[in-house]
Amino acid sequence: MTGRTRDLALHLLDRQVVDPDGHAVGRVDDVELLVPEDGSPPYVVAMLTGPQALGPRLGGPLGRWVVFWSHVLSRGSEEGPGRIGMELVTDFGADIGISRTRLELGVHPNEDRARDYLIGRLPGARGARR
Amino acid sequence: MRGAELLGLPVVGPGGEQLGKVLDVRLVQDGPLLGAYAALRVEGLIVGNRPTASRLGYDRFDGQFDVRGPWLLAVCVRYLTRHTRYLPWEEAELSAGTVRSRVGNLPTVPKIA
Repeated sequence: MTGRTRDLALHLLDRQVVDPDGHAVGRVDDVELLVPEDGSPPYVVAMLTGPQALGPRLGGPLGRWVVFWSHVLSRGSEEGPGRIGMELVTDFGADIGISRTRLELGVHPNEDRARDYLIGRLPGARGARR
Repeated sequence: MRGAELLGLPVVGPGGEQLGKVLDVRLVQDGPLLGAYAALRVEGLIVGNRPTASRLGYDRFDGQFDVRGPWLLAVCVRYLTRHTRYLPWEEAELSAGTVRSRVGNLPTVPKIA
């Protein structure tokens, strides 16, 4: 499929990304553009998800606050935002389908830790564990 | 480079006149093949002064001045987006947090194909 046009804010940002099992992987908080050295127009190589992508987009004190707490909760890890390569995209629609599961991608380590160590231990939360 | 960095950047014309801000980035699916799809290549920028009116997208699907639907909606969209214009990427130049257009008279926003 080639030649279709889409607008970044209208069609990509804030869309839900779903894995092959239909589980939500995250929202598209930003995209990574590759700028070719030959001067040709940039193109989208990855979707970025998580607070470290959303924070800079929000900007201002709120954006800095989001990035700060994400950094604190990830125990000072220097990892950047969750990155989903465009080569994994299988479907562009109301949701964006990808060919890998959320657990394989590991794009939300803080949420995964919270599920494993907190939510999954609550009574009645058997389905929350991996 | 992040895509959202482009959104909201001020756009100036060749003489330094203000043309608005970047409201959206038009992408066309004809870049290098990435998996099942061709990559989304940046084709141009949608420039204007009313981000909220433009974010609804009514001005994109039928063409900026050919909005279909209830006449009241069409009149409102035409009025709110009357200054929205399209800057082709080859006419744009990024420098120091500003987008400089090489042309002063920008065309209207082409509809999404």
